Amino acid sequence: MQQRLDRWAERAARALAQRSSRRGFLSVLGAALTGAALLPLLPVLRGSQAVAAEPGAKAVAADPNSCEYWKYCAIDGFLCGCCGGSSSSCPPGTQPSPITWIGTCHNPADGRDYIVSYNDCCGKTSCGSCFCNRNEGERPMYRLSLNNDVNWCMANDNPNYHCSVSVILGVAGK
Amino acid sequence: MASFIGEEYRVPAAGGPFARPRAAIACVAVANYDGTAGGGGNRMGPRAYGALLALLTGFAAAAAPPLPAEHLDVTHLPPPSPHWMWVFDEALNNEIDTRLYLYDGDAHRELGQIDTGYWPGFTVSPDGRTTAITTTYFSRGSHGARTDVVEFTDNATLNVSGEIVLPPKRAQTLPTLYNVVYSADGKQLYVTNLSPAASYTVVDVVKRAVVGEIDTDGCVLVIPSAQRRISSLCENGRLLTVTVDDAGHEVARKLSAPFFSVDRDPVFVQAIPASNGVLFLSFLGDVYAVDVSGAEPQFTPAWPITSAAERGRWRPGGDQVGAYHRGAARLYVPMHRGADGSHKTGGSEIWVVDAAAHRRIARWPIDVKKYGSVDAVQVTQDERPLLFAATENSALLVMDANTGHLLHVESKLGQSLWYLMNP
Repeated sequence: MQQRLDRWAERAARALAQRSSRRGFLSVLGAALTGAALLPLLPVLRGSQAVAAEPGAKAVAADPNSCEYWKYCAIDGFLCGCCGGSSSSCPPGTQPSPITWIGTCHNPADGRDYIVSYNDCCGKTSCGSCFCNRNEGERPMYRLSLNNDVNWCMANDNPNYHCSVSVILGVAGK
Repeated sequence: MASFIGEEYRVPAAGGPFARPRAAIACVAVANYDGTAGGGGNRMGPRAYGALLALLTGFAAAAAPPLPAEHLDVTHLPPPSPHWMWVFDEALNNEIDTRLYLYDGDAHRELGQIDTGYWPGFTVSPDGRTTAITTTYFSRGSHGARTDVVEFTDNATLNVSGEIVLPPKRAQTLPTLYNVVYSADGKQLYVTNLSPAASYTVVDVVKRAVVGEIDTDGCVLVIPSAQRRISSLCENGRLLTVTVDDAGHEVARKLSAPFFSVDRDPVFVQAIPASNGVLFLSFLGDVYAVDVSGAEPQFTPAWPITSAAERGRWRPGGDQVGAYHRGAARLYVPMHRGADGSHKTGGSEIWVVDAAAHRRIARWPIDVKKYGSVDAVQVTQDERPLLFAATENSALLVMDANTGHLLHVESKLGQSLWYLMNP
């Protein structure tokens, strides 16, 4: 199992590197390894292009309870902030997924692009509140590293999907 | 059997064994009201109302014969109809409790249900007698030990007729019609795995046992072709075809040339069953027909369902992005005005395309304000076909597939309808 996970992570990382500049890839990898102790596996790039908010949508983009919140540019699921956690914290009694995907989102407040890790929180049934489904850059299941339709709790001891967080890993490299 | 359909069914439902408790509850309510209202300032006190009610009830009882006694039983399904449809409810707010509803497109009513557990796969046996569900259960409801299993339901009774425990790594993903399939002879079952390593489990249906696993090297789906040949869709736009033997072991594999560009215009993973294989639709609305009936898959050049002016502005989208009537060679696609990233947006129109002539023949607008956008479509395969459309509001629309005429609206069926499957 672990061997297969490693093979998969290696393949995903290789594909990521092929689609990114080397500097950008290393900055993503470095941020992921140093900034996210919860991620024992290589993260998966969720989107290679930063997604800018619509003009005039700054107020909505600053509301973490809105699906249009800037960090959620590639989220598909229930916002953990509505389920007892926050946009970067799993609710009590749940476990973060060890595998995940990563997006690059534009923060209109400071004009920067950020690498965002979309971990799922697992171990309880669907939260059922604040469902968001944004798919910029999302791709079908055969490109698994860019897919948000699979259950990313799949490798957890309890693979029951509860909600999704959006954790800033760092500023995206140019 | 026909007596349960339509009005004859509904009339006795109002009386029967439940009539007596209901009357008893009414009496209690009157008594309660009588006891608590006190004297008050009403012109006619509650005691007087109670007396009047008893008097009127007495008159009615004297005028009409009593309702006949009824016998509690279990409804039997009528003989199968080509206008039945399986409707998948993801139960988004409680995904450990998904279901398939069996719906009658003529009687406009639900006929029954199969419980499908957590993020299931589903398929129907070649002889139509069995529905196979691959799913996951937890020993304590939402937690506890995980068991992956394929469960078989007898389509004549909707009783679970058997099960086979699977390795705990089946793909938990959104539905397609190719997450689990039978072999052409119905003796084997192929179950897509994602752990996240991709493979599929081979199940011997006759022996009721798991007999093999095929590593697909990252490719997904199980599209059956000949007796023991299965094709899977790969990240590089190729099709992997593996032949297995009767024992469930791999005997050959071949990778096709790329037939679409994942980076330029990826195809939806929701393959659409066609006459000799499947159709894939791309995000921009190109049709890729794959014929898997021969020794090797055959690919015909892709063709668009949009005009040049519409391309990129009108797009396929939703959960189930197309349905195909094999006899008429008609393709039905929910379409929306969209852009990159809108591929899960449901259709505000259903486009009807002549797949033989590569020509659109109709655009059927949907009242999105009233019903929501269309997330899933399926068409029956008979000569008077019905088109079913499931919407984001969990409405089920039943339409004449030849004219687009809206025949019936089930305004709220279940919780979140995401896929449709012909029985």
